[in-house]
Parts: sequence; C-alpha cells; structure tokens
Amino acid sequence: MKIHVNDVPLDVAPGTSVIDAVFAAGYDVPYFCSQEYMSPIGACRMCLARVGAPRKDRATGEWILDEATGDAKIFWFPNPMATCTTQVMEGMVVDTLSKEVKRAQNGMVEFTLVNHPLDCPTCDKGGACELQDRAYEYGTGESRFVFDKRHQEKHHALSEAITLDRERCIHCKRCVRYFEEVPGDEVLDFIERGGHTYIGTLEDGLPSPFSGNITDICPVGALLDSTSRFRGRNWEYHHTDTTSLDDPSGAALRIDARTGRIERIKAGLNDEVNKTWIDDGTRFGHEYADHADRITLPMVRKDGRLEPVAWSEAMRVVRDKLGGVDGTKVGVAIRADATLEEGVAAQALAAHLGTGRLDHAPRPAASVLPGGAPATLRDVATSDGLLVLGDPTHEAAIVDLRIKDALKGVPPADLLPHGVPIADLRLTERMPRKTEILTVVAPYRTDLMKHAGRTVTPPAGGEGALLRALLALAHARTEAQGASDPGKAADAALAGWDDAVGMSAADAAALLDALAAAEAPVLIWGGFVSADPDADAAARALATAVGAKTLILGPMANAAGLERIGVLPSHERYAYDPASSEVRAWILGDLDPAQDPTVAKRFADLDALIVHAAFENATTALADVVLPAVTGYEKEGSTLNAEGRLLPVRAAPVEAGAATDFTGVVKAYGEAAGERLEGRSVRSARRVLKKRLDVDLAELPDDGRLLPPAPAAARGARALPARRAATGSALVVPSLVRIEHLDRNPTLLREHGGPTLRMHPSDAHAHGLTRGEVVTVPVGGIPRRLVVAPDDGVPEGTWLVPTLPDQPVGLHPLDLDALRRERGETAEVA
Amino acid sequence: MIELQTARPFFEDKPELLQEILGRYPDYGRRSALMPLLWEVQRAERYVSEARIAEIADILDLTATEVRGVMSFYSTYHGEPVGRYHLQVCATLSCKLAGADQLTDYLEDTLGLVPGETDAEGRFSLQKVECLGSCTTAPVLQVNDTYYERVGRADVDALLAAMKEDVLPEPARVRAGDNERYGPAAPAGEEDA
Ligand code: SF4
Ligand code: FES
Ligand code: FES
Repeated sequence: MKIHVNDVPLDVAPGTSVIDAVFAAGYDVPYFCSQEYMSPIGACRMCLARVGAPRKDRATGEWILDEATGDAKIFWFPNPMATCTTQVMEGMVVDTLSKEVKRAQNGMVEFTLVNHPLDCPTCDKGGACELQDRAYEYGTGESRFVFDKRHQEKHHALSEAITLDRERCIHCKRCVRYFEEVPGDEVLDFIERGGHTYIGTLEDGLPSPFSGNITDICPVGALLDSTSRFRGRNWEYHHTDTTSLDDPSGAALRIDARTGRIERIKAGLNDEVNKTWIDDGTRFGHEYADHADRITLPMVRKDGRLEPVAWSEAMRVVRDKLGGVDGTKVGVAIRADATLEEGVAAQALAAHLGTGRLDHAPRPAASVLPGGAPATLRDVATSDGLLVLGDPTHEAAIVDLRIKDALKGVPPADLLPHGVPIADLRLTERMPRKTEILTVVAPYRTDLMKHAGRTVTPPAGGEGALLRALLALAHARTEAQGASDPGKAADAALAGWDDAVGMSAADAAALLDALAAAEAPVLIWGGFVSADPDADAAARALATAVGAKTLILGPMANAAGLERIGVLPSHERYAYDPASSEVRAWILGDLDPAQDPTVAKRFADLDALIVHAAFENATTALADVVLPAVTGYEKEGSTLNAEGRLLPVRAAPVEAGAATDFTGVVKAYGEAAGERLEGRSVRSARRVLKKRLDVDLAELPDDGRLLPPAPAAARGARALPARRAATGSALVVPSLVRIEHLDRNPTLLREHGGPTLRMHPSDAHAHGLTRGEVVTVPVGGIPRRLVVAPDDGVPEGTWLVPTLPDQPVGLHPLDLDALRRERGETAEVA
Repeated sequence: MIELQTARPFFEDKPELLQEILGRYPDYGRRSALMPLLWEVQRAERYVSEARIAEIADILDLTATEVRGVMSFYSTYHGEPVGRYHLQVCATLSCKLAGADQLTDYLEDTLGLVPGETDAEGRFSLQKVECLGSCTTAPVLQVNDTYYERVGRADVDALLAAMKEDVLPEPARVRAGDNERYGPAAPAGEEDA
C-alpha cells in the first residue's frame, strides 16, 4: 500500500497501523499505551496525528480529484487520529509535524500530567521513563492545572516483588492487558472508574509466574521491581545484555549492575525466543549472586580446616593430590548450566587426566537432543496441534508463553525497519483462544492445563506406557486404512486400549486425529519423559508416526549444548555417580552431591575432592580444595537452548573476588601442571568449538543463531546405552524457581514461599500433615526441608518435591517414616 | 464486616435462575453474565461481599479481580452494605454547574456523613456518583432506585424528613426549562441555547 508520512513516500503491507508506518518512515510520535506484542487499544490518546485519505466517487468508482492539481483529493479526518488503532489505507497521507498536531500533543501531555506527581527526582524510573522523555519532547513545560492533584497510595505492595505507586499511574492499561494477553492470568484490573481509577488485585500477591514483566512495560514509575527499589539511578547502572542460564529457554536478559552488584534483571528482546518476557524466577532470583557468603578465594584444607590461599597455591595442591591418583579413577563433572566453553575446558581436563569419567549433571537417562525434525520456538508459536508431555511452565518458562502464542493463532509479525511492530492490529484484547489445539499430559495438575483443550493425567512414571499405547494405536490405525473394512479395523485397533494409561480410547483416538489433521504438529516433552528411556523412544517414534516436530526441554540451561559437544562419559558405565566406589578423586563444578549422607560418607575417604563452587555447601565441607566459582551472571561464553539456538552469555560486573568460571580452573591447573590445555580461556575454547560446530561463537549475534542438528551419524556414535528409569513415590518436579538459591534470594523467597511438599489433601490428612508446617523428609537419600502444601491437583499416593541440580526430575524413593516435623506439637492438632 | 449470611453460596438454591441467566449468552460469551449475576446479589443483599465476588468468579471462570474491576466501575454495586436510603448525588458536570457541590455539602452537614459513609443506624448512606443521565434536570439526587430532579434545599429537607419516618415520597416530575429551584440561576437567555 502506497502512503505518505509527511514528506516520505512509503510502501507498507495492508493491515499495518499508522503508528508503525510513521516509525517505518523514520518519524516519531509519542505513545504510552501501545506495547510491542500486545493489542493496540487507543487508551492514552498520545499518538495523535492528522490523517487523510483520497476517496472514490460512489457513482463512478473513480478517485475524486483535486481540481487545482489534478491529483486525488485528500480528505482529512475531522479530528486528529490515534495512529495506533488506525490502519493504513491506499493513498493515505499522515502528518505528524504540523502546528495542529503539535497542539494536540501538547494538550495530551498536559492532560496526562494533570494528576501525575512529577516526583521524578525520587523515582526509580527517572532517566529511563517514557513519560518523562515524552513530556520533555512533546510538552510545553507548563500546566494550567492549578487544583489539588489526586492523592493515592504511593507504596502499595502488589506482591512481595512488585511495588505500585498509584499516583504515578497514567492508566495506559499495559499491565492489565499484559496479564490477560500474555500469560493469560487475569490477576490485575482497573478498579473504580474515571478520575478515581486505580490498578488493583483481589488475588493474593499476583499469582502468575510471569508477573514481573509489568515492571518492564509500565511506561512510568508506577510498577517497580522491589529488589531494586531506591537502589540506584538509571544512568548509574552498567547494562549487560546476556542470555538467561536459569532454564533451557535461552531468554534474553538485561542485567543492571552498580558498584559490583546486580541490582535488577530486566527482560531483553529476542523476537525468536522470549520476545520481551521473562519469568519471575529468572527476574527476581538474582539476589543470591551478591550474597555476603560468596566464596571469593580458593581454599585448601589444612589441619582439617579450609584456609584461603592464592590460586597458584591451590592449584599446586590440586596437582599434587591428583598426581597420586590413577587418572582413570578421577571423575570430572560440571553442572548442566555450564557454558559450552566450560564444557570444552572440562573435556580438556578429563583428557589430560586420562579419564573417561566425564559428565554433566543433571543428565536424564535419555538424550535431550531432538532426533528427526527439531521444532523451534517459532514452530511452537505457529503450531496448530500441540502435544505437551510435562510441565513447560517450570521446565522452560518461555515455552509456556510461546504455546500460548499458538493458542491465539496469530503468527509472529514480520519485523519492520524499526523492529517489532508497535501496534500489531491483528492482536486484540480477550482474543478467543484455540484451546482445542493443545493437549497437556502430566502426572499432576499443571499451570498450563488451564489453557489446554485436552488434559491427560497418567500415573507418575506412566508416560512410557501411555506413549507406547498411543504409538501402537497410531500404527494400528495406519494399517487399518489399508484393510478391506477400514472402519472395522479401526474399531479393532481401539478395542485393546487400556484406560489405565490415563486416557480413554475415544480421547486417544481424538488426540491422534487432531495431530493427524494438524498442518504443523509439535511434540514437546520434558524431564518426566526423558527420565525413562522407553518413554523417550516411544515419544520419538510417535513424533515420526504423526509427522510432528519435536522440542525437548532439558533439565538445565545448557544440557542440550553439553550433550551436543560431548561432555559425556566414554562409556555409560562411567556416567556421573557420586556414590560410585570406583572413583578415587572428584573434580566437581557447581554440584553438591554430598547432601546425600551416603555420598558424604563415600566422599570422606576419597583421595582428592576438588570442588568449584560459589557458596559453601555439604560438599565443600568435605573438600580438600575449594575453588571460587562465578555465577551464571558473571560468565562469558555461549549456551545452546532447547530449540538448538546458540546464544551469547556475557558477564555482568559483579564483585566476586578471585572467582572464575571452569575455563579459569583449567587454565590455573594447566599452569600448575606446566601444560597449555585447550579450553584454558573462553577464547581458546571457542577455537575448539569453531572447528567442531563450524560457528565462530565470538561473533554470535544478540539473538543467537540456530545450530543445524547434529548429523545422524555423529549422534549414532554418541548414542548412550539406555539407563533404567527410577521408581519411588516421590515425584521430583521441575521448578521455575531455583530451589538451591532460594535461601539467598529473600525477595523471591517471600514471594514464592519455601520449597513445597505437595500431596493430595487425603494423603496429608492420613499423615496428619497441615498446610504450612515445615517438615524434613529424605527424598532419594537427600534430606529435603519442605513446606507442606496439600493440593487436590496431585493424585493420591504421589508426593511432589521440587527439583535440585543434585536431584533431577523423575521418580525417587520417599521415606515417609523418616519424616520429621519442625513444630511437632502444633502439627498434632491436624 | 458481618459475613454471616454469606456462608452459603448465593446461587446454591437458585439453580433455575442461574441457568436462565447463563442461558442468555453463548458459551464463548459466558462472562457477559457477570452484570446480571452481580445485580441479583446486589438486589437481594444490598451489597456484594467478597465471598459473593469469589462465588461469581467461580461460576464464570474469571478471577475475583476481574469481577471486582467490573463491579467497581458501576456505582450501582456496593462492596459494603449501604443504608436503607442510599443517597447518590450526581457529581458530573451538568449537576455540578447546577449546584451539586452545595447539595453534597448540605447533605454532609445535615446527616453528619461524608460520601462513602453510612450512619450508625443504617438508615442513610451518602455517595457521589457520576452522571445519572438526567442532565436536563440537574442537579439530580438518586435515592435507592428513584430519581429526585432539580432538588433544592427545601426539597432535600422534605425528603430527609419523610425518610426519617420511613417514607420514600413520590418524586415530583418537573418540567424542562424550569431552572430556578436550586443553586445559581442560569444566565438569562442561555437556557435554550
Ligand atoms: S501501572 Fe503503569 S502499566 Fe499499569 S496502567 Fe498504570 S502506567 Fe500503565
Ligand atoms: S492511544 Fe495510546 S498509543 Fe495510541
Ligand atoms: S451530570 Fe448529573 S445527571 Fe448528567
């Protein structure tokens, strides 16, 4: 469509909003209520412009011409128009520069400021405030409003993590719309009306795992992140654009640090991944990095006590200790959120020591690399048939949001010269959601089930049986098609169905029909399936049978990447097993297996225990040498997210003494051993990775790069013999909040509460447990301190416990007889 | 707040009524039943308690926040019990120009209440509301569901006296154009402009 914005002729796609046309032409209009990825609603009236268009003569169908010029005559709309809710028309003319438009803008700024407190000097948003900027650019600097301003609450805690200043709110409705449109949790609304309107909630503490995003999109200082309130001015922050290592979504983050500490985390923009959203665990879960008890110096055990020493001395001790151990008896394991560069370093170290006992942990029994056709997050967002096995909200939170995109049925918008459209007119408030395209399978009620047209609750650990049954049914139905009487054969295929797998035959048939009918079906699974190699194999086969792409959610940020580059044992016999009696020395990166008393006992008679950690824990307590580790916020490197996208990880300036990442450990070790090991620095690791992946990671763009799937041959060589699925009555479940850091994340702890032990109310009753009481119970050997939370979404007989890096998702034995109550007397009342 | 009567769900013993209301809307527009449901509760109980809000949210698969958002938009619904005579003074432009502020002041002084309050006896509640859609007969005072138009001081006195005797008088129907019963007279010649 040909239009004119001021003096710029432009060709834009039909359906484009005028505001986007204006920006595409390189001009500017101020706006407050429009927001990328959300519906334009025309609430703030700030985006006014004069708009006109030619008209056709009704009778002749010809353009009405301007007699003087002979061109099509422009009919101007009688009033300035809100450009965000106006669509372009053929021949449209937009004027953003005239006096009339200026006057309208001046008026809107003045009006918007009528009740605004103008407390910018004490406002956290000052210096990065849309209202402040726009008032300077488009206001007159004067107000004719001489009356009392409206007074409202200035420090209203909407939740433990979000503070609302009701005086500053300009009622743009971004926050309210956000909750309905993006996560679909309608927990915030306008209360009252007219000049009395304010933002409020009746839900206790904004119960949505994605609540923090409203602090990013609020155009003023009304909604603020409580972790950073009054902690710094915007121009003092050092911004680091990086990738979250919190989960395998690979969400873009902006870390704001000041004087060596992280003050806040905001969402970054990655149109292919997280758009501009992150989950609350990622946003508010950073306080631990600045906690006072960080390990900042290497420590060596002398006379039974850990003493701080220099790196060189620590490494001499490491070298000497390892020197006395048979290399093949040394185990090296790093946590599955280590960067690819750290992975290379670990490989080089293991190779140098001559051990095949290299691994990353947690690593599920089955591979987390998709086989055949991997699905990208864009594939998820544009799918019309989704089968989800697991709890993506907690496994890779962004996947949850991209699934919700698919329910809207609006494919991602094309980028414009200025980026993501400001006002995408295809999006509206309260769009109907196509819930029927989504099936969610999980052994308990998950958040995502609220949005699913079909939900299936197999018994815990029953994913394998369910998937095998579905697969058999799919095959039988295909065969039936060729039979002489297809209808009868199809019925016969259904006859053998066993409802005990968690769904009825009719439901199963309907699900397969839906997947078969879908043009772009996607199968998504996470830890519950990957914990069981049989389930994994069935899931892969089912994807092939129904022609679906697959997305696998690994246990931690870079699980897929570390598997892909082969941070793996030379033989599955050598897989990471801290309880193994064959290993005489361990080098552990960010792992704490000694939480399990059996492992702790084993560790007591190791020849060497070298631990790279950011905080003291049960394992550092036994270590011979403790090396200070950086957190995921302080690393330079790269990660591979669940969809196979390489993403850059950059270091925020956090004061952490002599802490390093794992490449630093290998460098120091190499120096002590007199050898230049590969992966001794991020640069040297990248040289290795360039050869292996054919990507120069130093050149990775901000929004990353999809890595083509590994050639099947290479995968075949790496294929590991299947491990067996575990059993037990505790189901360790994914958690969007990282439990291992919760004690050092005070805001998040208040917001989220402690880690919970969830069970069916009748189980709670049977064991005399009351909501809120704190218990300690051994789960898979690790004593877990948990808050009792009865929940009728949990099937009877199953007890849900949130995962730890040292306690992966899946079934684990639960020792209820050894359950101890923290306040025994009060609990008796139950 | 006394919540005793809300212990039982309001619609529990009114399944036909509930079905009738829900049946007015297609399934995808179920949330449209919000207004009639609120109205049933408001009419029967004279206010909509938090327990009722939660109940309606449950019926319509909404959050309590959304119900509260809609409810608070309308001055018809009350979050707290109001008195037997709920005095609602229109405070929007036309009524303001015709002296609604003085009317409110007068009611405040006479009743000893500020807007939003109910007297100890539970007889009178005072509230300022937005335009009642009767601007030609400003200022407007709505008592429960009855409009009293062009109310002057004498009208208010008579009205209050009657209500103290528990009588709600018939409103006087006033002719359009008669603008001198309360407040400053309109400048000559402008009434019909
Ligand atoms: S709180 Fe912020 S985002 Fe929400 S309506 Fe007010 S100004 Fe807009
Ligand atoms: S009216 Fe708010 S951006 Fe257009
Ligand atoms: S302004 Fe009072 S009724 Fe309209």
